[in-house]
Amino acid sequence: MSYYFISIGGSGAKVLEALTHLCVAGVMPTREEINILAIDPDSGNGNLERSGFALNSYIKFQKLSVGNDTPLFKTKMTLIKPFPWNPIEIDKTLDDLMDYQIYKGGSLGNLYEVLYTRRERNTKLNEGFRGHPSIGAAVLAKKYTLRDNKNTQWTDFIQKIKQDANNGGEIKIFFAGSVFGGTGASGMPTIARLLRNDLKDNSPDKNTILIGGAFILPYFSFPPPAEADKLFARSENFLTNTKAALKYYAQRENVFNAMYFVGDSHVTHFQKFSIGAATQKNDAHIVDFYAALAAIDFFNQPADYSQVYNCIFHNDSNKFSWSDFPALEEIENGDAKDFEFRKRFAKFARFVFAYVHFIKPVLRGLSSGDIKDYQYPWYVDYFSEADIVNTGAVKNFEDYAESFVTWLKQLETLQDREVALIKSAMFESRPARIVNAEEFYACDGVITNPKLTLHEVWYRLTEDLNLDSSINGFGKFLRRLYEACDA
Amino acid sequence: MNRDLRTLAKLATIIAVTFSCVILTYFITSSITGHQLATASGNMAFSRWQEKFQSLTINAGILSFLCSLAWFVLTRWIFKINSSRGIGKRTVWAALAALDLIGCVAIPQFYSSTLGIKINFIVIAVFIIFFAGIGYWLLTIFTTPKIFKYTPLGARFFLARK
Repeated sequence: MSYYFISIGGSGAKVLEALTHLCVAGVMPTREEINILAIDPDSGNGNLERSGFALNSYIKFQKLSVGNDTPLFKTKMTLIKPFPWNPIEIDKTLDDLMDYQIYKGGSLGNLYEVLYTRRERNTKLNEGFRGHPSIGAAVLAKKYTLRDNKNTQWTDFIQKIKQDANNGGEIKIFFAGSVFGGTGASGMPTIARLLRNDLKDNSPDKNTILIGGAFILPYFSFPPPAEADKLFARSENFLTNTKAALKYYAQRENVFNAMYFVGDSHVTHFQKFSIGAATQKNDAHIVDFYAALAAIDFFNQPADYSQVYNCIFHNDSNKFSWSDFPALEEIENGDAKDFEFRKRFAKFARFVFAYVHFIKPVLRGLSSGDIKDYQYPWYVDYFSEADIVNTGAVKNFEDYAESFVTWLKQLETLQDREVALIKSAMFESRPARIVNAEEFYACDGVITNPKLTLHEVWYRLTEDLNLDSSINGFGKFLRRLYEACDA
Repeated sequence: MNRDLRTLAKLATIIAVTFSCVILTYFITSSITGHQLATASGNMAFSRWQEKFQSLTINAGILSFLCSLAWFVLTRWIFKINSSRGIGKRTVWAALAALDLIGCVAIPQFYSSTLGIKINFIVIAVFIIFFAGIGYWLLTIFTTPKIFKYTPLGARFFLARK
């Protein structure tokens, strides 16, 4: 079985960020590796930068030895490089990309002039398709069909999928992107269709290679750009774009085995318009979280599942709580069993908070010689033998922990509405820290074990735990800390 | 062994080791220098001297027991760790060690005159070895809860995982 996740555009990148955190927390159904591909013409956009940071940090420390009997770091992730794949060279316009000069004056050139306005043709596409899926569809289709060229990543990517399919494995490919913007709206149907056609020989029954997608519906708006005459994405067009996209999926041949439409009836208003690049840094949103859960649901479905039309609602429109999320299960040794999403996520959150609160300052203090190590039995027991602290794994994990807490804080900051996952009053981000230690044991809103205080975690950290002898180094310590956070 | 059982075992160890220290101190001191001190104490009958010396030993043992028990109670139930700084509590451990050490010198010095017996440096040395050395230092190394296990000086030598 092989899993592929393809994020397209800024919305896709945000889903990728949520999926990364859920994978690190061990929420995926199996231990199968996920191959990650990101497609974004605006490769410098802030959303992608953030998800790329979390993902790259995880990729660097995911090989830590924590054992195979724990959900922690269960799902490994692999990047398909280049990450992201940018289908557009710098300072290119649509005319450049479509070789307009070659066709100019001919029937194809004339048709092209009819389909695209002069402004669409002459705008440099460094910041993506600027909310115009018609541009994106043309560019992506053209770039995709050039895959035989050695310079593109598609040859290797398709070969890898074909190889997996030929080995008799089941392939699951999941797309995530918006239906209302530029890149996602154009890339989702285009790439999926071309990919399906490409892989037709390897999956004649359509069930060997399954394609799913999370289609993000409009959930935010932003003020119109100051320069009204230029080509920009405009939030007032989102609904029109969405309507057209949905009509397309309803009427055209559907290449998707599973489609998850995720939206929000409350529109989140962003104060600032961003054309793209680093300034396009939208906070994490509960919609991303749901879309990542959709990916997990898709990866968990059996290969022969018939088309189902599930709908998920939440109870209180002004509040998101644990009961609003779908039930999850995992497969261990071939058997599927339910697990409580809340418990697993909360344990992981406590683990990260305990790390940033207790461990990180100590490791820094010890490195600088400010404090004495006798106060920290876990340090003496796990760290003093080898120079673990100065390995890249510690730094990468700390970077990841910071990005997790920032993401969680953003997720729970939803204009006028409450997201009651991990108690927001308990922690702060940037830098990540616990501000109310009293809330630690019930950080998920449920008092499972009132004795699970920070003191208790510290205590457990100094006690022995029977672990496989192959578990060692910093991974062993992280595993001990993770188990210490069990309610 | 779970934490509660470990706690009971450590409390039992503190009682047993202190009791053993009292007995050993009493018999070792008596056999080494008891007759000499009984003679020096106004030709006191040896059995009478032993009776008074037993009381002296028990009092020193009680002080040692209280110090090691106090350390155990503080580290097991009183000290709470909620942040990563200032948590070693070595000052508290050292203060109790100093109290015990002073007791090992002061109790024989002052209580012996109340009892009307003489003591010498051997008594002080044996008291320090058994009540401060074994009865507090070694005992706290092996009975301190794991959360503070490297706080007693030298604990790392005995306890750090090889």
